[in-house]
Amino acid sequence: MSEFGDNGLDLTDALRDGPHIPAHVYIHVPFCRVKCSYCDFYSVSDLASVRIEAVLRGIEAELTQWGASGLPGVVETVYLGGGTPTVIVGGAVRLVRAALEEFPVRAGAEVTVEANPDSVTPALMEALAAVGATRVSVGVQSFVEGEIALLGRVHTVDEAVDACRAVRGAGLELSVDLMCGIPGQTKASWVTSLEQAVSCGASHVSVYPLTLEPGTPLEVAVSTGLVDEPDPDLGADQMIMAEEFLSMGDIERYEVSNYARAGRESRHNLAYWTGRSYLGIGPAAHGMLDAATALATGLIDPAHAKAGAARVRYGNVRDIDTWLTSSEVEIEVLDQDQTLREDVMLGLRLVRGVPHGQVLVAGVEDALVDLEREGLVERVTASGRAVLVEGVVPSMRWRTTRRGWLLGNEVFGRVLGD
Amino acid sequence: MTTPSHIRNFSIIAHIDHGKSTLADRVLQLTHTVEDRDMVEQVLDSMDIERERGITIKAQAVRVLYEADDGETYQLNLIDTPGHVDFTYEVSRSLQACEGCLLVVDAAQGVEAQTVANALMALNAHLEIIPVINKIDLPSADPERVRHEIEEALAIPADEAVLASAKSGEGVREALEAIVRRVPPPVGDADGPLKALIFDSYFDAYRGVVALIRVIDGSISKGMKVRTMASATVIDVEEVGVRRPANLPVDELTVGEVGYLITGLKDPSLVKVGDTVTLAKHGATEPLPGYREVKPMVFTGLFPIDGDQYPELRDALDKLLLNDPALVYEPESSHALGFGFRCGFLGLLHMEVIKERLEREFDLDLLATAPSVEYHAFRTNGEMVTVHSPQDMPDAGVLERIEEPYLKATVLVPPDFVGAVMELSESRRGSFKDMQYLSKTTVEMHYEIPLSELIMDYFDQLKSRTRGYASLDYEYIGYQASDLVKLDVLLAGKPVDALSFIVHKDKAFVRGRALTEKLREIIPRQMFDVPIQAAIGSRVLARETVKAKRKDVLAKCYGGDITRKRKLLEKQKKGKKRMKAVGSVEVPQDAFMAILKVDE
Repeated sequence: MSEFGDNGLDLTDALRDGPHIPAHVYIHVPFCRVKCSYCDFYSVSDLASVRIEAVLRGIEAELTQWGASGLPGVVETVYLGGGTPTVIVGGAVRLVRAALEEFPVRAGAEVTVEANPDSVTPALMEALAAVGATRVSVGVQSFVEGEIALLGRVHTVDEAVDACRAVRGAGLELSVDLMCGIPGQTKASWVTSLEQAVSCGASHVSVYPLTLEPGTPLEVAVSTGLVDEPDPDLGADQMIMAEEFLSMGDIERYEVSNYARAGRESRHNLAYWTGRSYLGIGPAAHGMLDAATALATGLIDPAHAKAGAARVRYGNVRDIDTWLTSSEVEIEVLDQDQTLREDVMLGLRLVRGVPHGQVLVAGVEDALVDLEREGLVERVTASGRAVLVEGVVPSMRWRTTRRGWLLGNEVFGRVLGD
Repeated sequence: MTTPSHIRNFSIIAHIDHGKSTLADRVLQLTHTVEDRDMVEQVLDSMDIERERGITIKAQAVRVLYEADDGETYQLNLIDTPGHVDFTYEVSRSLQACEGCLLVVDAAQGVEAQTVANALMALNAHLEIIPVINKIDLPSADPERVRHEIEEALAIPADEAVLASAKSGEGVREALEAIVRRVPPPVGDADGPLKALIFDSYFDAYRGVVALIRVIDGSISKGMKVRTMASATVIDVEEVGVRRPANLPVDELTVGEVGYLITGLKDPSLVKVGDTVTLAKHGATEPLPGYREVKPMVFTGLFPIDGDQYPELRDALDKLLLNDPALVYEPESSHALGFGFRCGFLGLLHMEVIKERLEREFDLDLLATAPSVEYHAFRTNGEMVTVHSPQDMPDAGVLERIEEPYLKATVLVPPDFVGAVMELSESRRGSFKDMQYLSKTTVEMHYEIPLSELIMDYFDQLKSRTRGYASLDYEYIGYQASDLVKLDVLLAGKPVDALSFIVHKDKAFVRGRALTEKLREIIPRQMFDVPIQAAIGSRVLARETVKAKRKDVLAKCYGGDITRKRKLLEKQKKGKKRMKAVGSVEVPQDAFMAILKVDE
């Protein structure tokens, strides 16, 4: 994590830089073969080639526009997400190449492509590696047949294992997404999934508790009683099991839901959690710019800047046709106070926590002292040992406790404050 | 001035939803009192809540001029009555102001409990009753069956019943003709001392208290000095007039006429419905019969969710009181809920309407405790304490007995559901009195039942267990001794006064258990375990625990998630605002009403 520097007071881009190209680029590919039963991300399963081509050209044009903007900046990570980027096969290869060609890219940049097991082939993995991809994140979710079916996914356990092997075979880093809290999932079946992920050669594992998003088929099935409601206590046990199990294999937690071997943390995702700005390209993609860059690129007008804008989050429209024909975006403008609080909130998602100085600047010390009393956060020294005395010790940081990981809504909600 | 021979005073009575207000609308249109272009639905229901709920809360009086088939023009005074059992007394006073009424019966639903109750009131007031079979255009209409029911169940001749559809306007003229021909003109002594009946009153911000009156004897005009006979208030008449439906001042109101009287008074409690207005000097000696004080029957605590809104709640209640003298309230303080008011209402609907008006018209967020009744607690030393709130119940040690208000409940139901009604009524401590077949399809059952049971979910249960067929009416019959106990509820070991309730001893265990179970469902998991106990004194009857929440994860937090999560967290925070912090426990509003929803 050294590239994110830690001078005790993590200043954000917003307070440091003039207009620049963000170092992190997210590209959203809004296509899936089949929509999963729990998912409410934006994607369509109409895979007509004309549509795909139109979206690819739109994304390429946006990349070119940024590349030609004349702003300074070097790209350090690229993330091709979705949707399922690998479902458009050659299109995914084309987008990786385009991104790396349009921007000045730092040597050793991290380039991740999201994939579902059913769309991973050895040939495609080889092709991605050849154009510069370094990492593939496979949405396995479970290595247990019945659970996969319940999630409405189209792959089998064997296909998932084959997909992971194909990623490793092409020399790419493997990240595996797993889901706990699936209705019908047991502690034993959860261990099976964790074991498989490790034995497939994953150096990075993301563990999400299933969230029943309103209106998704799975949520409807649960609310109408067709499927049993997941037991939140079992889900909590499973999250703790994941931490313990993966740790035995030297895959350590570094964020609420993310585990990695040392040095294999996702640098792109760390950017989200450390207040770095990033570009969001493609339908429904989200990006974040510091106010200076947002002003320079016309995302906000001078009135916003005058009103104290520090950070601007934006979201492209969630509809391919509208996105193709208009430049409509939804923006959220944060002032400096909100930005500082948000950075503490995001920092508390990380195992390394947040420096005390940053907590003071953001004015959230009282909230953290309350949370500490409830056992949700703790004070640690620079080396990660608990601070047992009251008050402040040199190089002190605030960190979320194990209980706090499970009650993240409570922690993050109170830090964001009113 | 119209001679009494050309005046007809009538009201429209009906079971709820049988089309009373729609018929009134058509009368106003047909007589050009309100032009079509100015017509809004249910003109006479002036409050939003009245229109939305399709109920009439306040009485109204409108004068229309009607050119009858005989070529003469008649002055018809339509007195629209409240259509709900909570307001029975107001209905009876309105009927006293009339000589006849239209009894509206739904052509599909037929005779229902309030049809019977209202018809009996009209018979007692010696009114000419003209049955109107309404909604004949409905596919399920069966006017012949309904005609038969009216004759059998109410013993009212229905061969001349008017067949109507107030919705389309069909039959409305026939109804007005029937009024002219069949309702007798008012009879009174034009030269005698003034006697006028107050059948409603309201408060006008500019003019003060306005009374709606019917002149029985004599006349009343601007500038006269009059007095009310029961409350002995002297009034300088500022103005008299008629409503068409806007106020239109007239020189005088004479025998048989209906109109308004502007009193200039600022205190609505001085002008009471049912009171008699006469001359201040040399007035009548005997008031009109039938006056009584209206007493609240149902009590509940109203608390602002945000304690800072207490002064606003007080101001709002003061304002509502001006238009609704039946409302009573006094400050109440609760350990759990802070400062609020214990309010008394005529019935459950009255309570709901007031709560809704407070929230809507005054923008208050309120929490209501479960409704209670007025108990009479007798101490061993013979002293009687009136108890409006379970908190005020004296300790069991010094109690000799408790009495509670009883009702005579009348249920009309098809014969198939007699068993279901018996089962329900008996489980609610009702004692069966008698039943009779009103017709082949309708049975009338009578129960004596404690009011406290009726204000639980009796009506909802009655409707659901009879698939909506049963209808209910009730009247107050007095106090009876019952073996009652106060049941306390403890959250996290601390008694929550606002959750206490009074219950029959035989029911305490079952209700205590059911309530703790219900509360466990309603109270969300918190950061710590929350034990819920139900206890009589120190004896715990039931115990449940809301387990501490272990997992409430914000899992994904990538690019677009951060904005989404912020919005979600803000929404959750708003959700929390709808909850009341009782000690350290966040309690949702539903919890305080849970006792009404328990299954036994």
